[in-house]
Amino acid sequence: MSERTDHGPESGGHHGGDELFKTPELPPLADSIAYIRALPKQTVAEVLRTAKARGKVAVQPRCGVGNQHEQLRLLRALEAGAQPDIHTLTIDAHTRMRRFDQALRGIRECPQDLNGYPLVGHGWIRGRELNDAVRAPIQIRHGSPHPWALFETTLASGFTAFEGGGICYNLPYAKNFPITESLALWREVDAVCGDLAREGIIVDREYFGTLTAVLMPPSISLAISFLEAVLAAREGVRCVSIAYPQGGEIVQDTATLRSIPRLAARYLPETVECYPVLHQYMGPFPRARRRADALILYGALAARLGGATKVLTKTHQEAFGVPDTDANLAGLATTHLAASELLDFVALDEDRVAEESAWIEEEVAEIVEPLLQGGDLLNAIPTAFAEGSLDIPFSASRLARSHIVPARDLSGAIRYLSSGALPFSERTLRRNALQLDDGDGRPPTRLLDRLSRDINYFAYADGPAGP
Amino acid sequence: MAGVSNAAERSSAGESRDARTVILGVTASDAHAVANHLIAHSLRDEGFDVVNLGVNTTVEEFFAALRDHPDAEAIVIGSINGHAYEDLLDLPEERAETGIDCPIILGGNLSVGSHKSDDHLRRLYDLGIDHILEDADQIAALLDKLLAARTADDAEATAYAVGEDHHT
Repeated sequence: MSERTDHGPESGGHHGGDELFKTPELPPLADSIAYIRALPKQTVAEVLRTAKARGKVAVQPRCGVGNQHEQLRLLRALEAGAQPDIHTLTIDAHTRMRRFDQALRGIRECPQDLNGYPLVGHGWIRGRELNDAVRAPIQIRHGSPHPWALFETTLASGFTAFEGGGICYNLPYAKNFPITESLALWREVDAVCGDLAREGIIVDREYFGTLTAVLMPPSISLAISFLEAVLAAREGVRCVSIAYPQGGEIVQDTATLRSIPRLAARYLPETVECYPVLHQYMGPFPRARRRADALILYGALAARLGGATKVLTKTHQEAFGVPDTDANLAGLATTHLAASELLDFVALDEDRVAEESAWIEEEVAEIVEPLLQGGDLLNAIPTAFAEGSLDIPFSASRLARSHIVPARDLSGAIRYLSSGALPFSERTLRRNALQLDDGDGRPPTRLLDRLSRDINYFAYADGPAGP
Repeated sequence: MAGVSNAAERSSAGESRDARTVILGVTASDAHAVANHLIAHSLRDEGFDVVNLGVNTTVEEFFAALRDHPDAEAIVIGSINGHAYEDLLDLPEERAETGIDCPIILGGNLSVGSHKSDDHLRRLYDLGIDHILEDADQIAALLDKLLAARTADDAEATAYAVGEDHHT
């Protein structure tokens, strides 16, 4: 992998004279492979395989702070208090943007001000220290369109799951990073995962279908994740996780999760393991603890009903900022309760779920199949975003049109009020229009008021949304 | 239906309000896009011509946009991640260098933590922010108020220029 290494001035061990904070040079890949093989723990892919075989939902919190000792303490506290199946290392904003010098300054001067763990700055030896400290494997979650230095340190640290892709870690996170470039960079990440798979080490690659976090129509989330998964599979990736954010209407959420294995059978090779993942609600959270706890429980139940292999947990402090350890533990405990098989008596109208799934899969097909049939997918995707035949709502990147306008129907399910230039059939357009036809159900509303209401669907329930 | 806006796109959605232009954007370190989209859409709905610079916009970019759109009535800046002060530190220098004096309106979550003090607002005003709003719904009304005030000033100036009694 020497031709792919990236020892630019900002990556590697050249950050001034303080020996204590000198980032170690990366070890040879063979050393990292030997370290991973010798780890007395399962890989993330093995945890997911076991969970699926047992019909259980693997539970994973979020977790990331600037200071090494605090990070160790946090991981150990979560493991001792709640036994998550997979741990998270959330990476700080400086490292995501390749501002490695700022991250190093943060490590030295004010680690408590960093909004995540600066893995590149701490370096792979400290990464292995975290890995060795806990029983469960660790996934790296970040939001970087340019992930190479972070990926190298991830492998050297022995972490066996790396979230992100050239679309899902670009459009919601950067204003003007060329999609062609992010796809090319993530292709290199996938190619190394392919090399490792041939060595018997399976790296889980998860796609952030949450995208811009609010009112995400299921078919857009799934279409983009599956395009990223198809590209990864072509590079030899063997384990993909398709993550979908809880929308908040149980039939739609269940149907979306259940569509994932069917879409995998349709679009991915049989050699690729594919796992459905649910993110508990990613939009504005209720401020009242009881309602926040109820929403966490609701999310975990949706994960179980939908057959998710993994659920990412939220906390009752979500509306206020980064949660403390106790809130994180409480979120894990509530999630474990709801994911229990004792709640198997909770059942939905299976006909409605099946009907919803069929609609979702039809929409996904209408979005992705023209691209998959077109040949050169890596070139077709940036063109499609420029033309609007691929699109996301509320894009941070100006390289997506954001002509999609989502809205909730009377049941709370998320539909397309406008699908922009998505290549939808007349049938699909008509169906979305019918679903949103309120009849006499509600008074007419300005679009902005409607969007605000639908975005704050859960937050408004206990009064004004607040800051 | 027009979409909920796109970064850097000048939309003619809504009825034209005689090219009342507003420059909109989110501060440099901040990638929060949802409120930005909603505000852009809402202002276009009100008939404004919105030059939306989107997320991660530096002070320099805001002023570059002003040079391209000298008719702009105001710069409207959003900031959600609590870094507004740090992100706007260049404002006094940029204003002095360009000599452009256009009202700057700021809103959002303007400091880290959930307890806000007046100190946070005062240091933002000290940087040269002209108006701080608590609610995005107040933007259009403030723009109307600023325009009315300016129109009154202009009328006064014109009246003096032609030597008329402006009380008539």
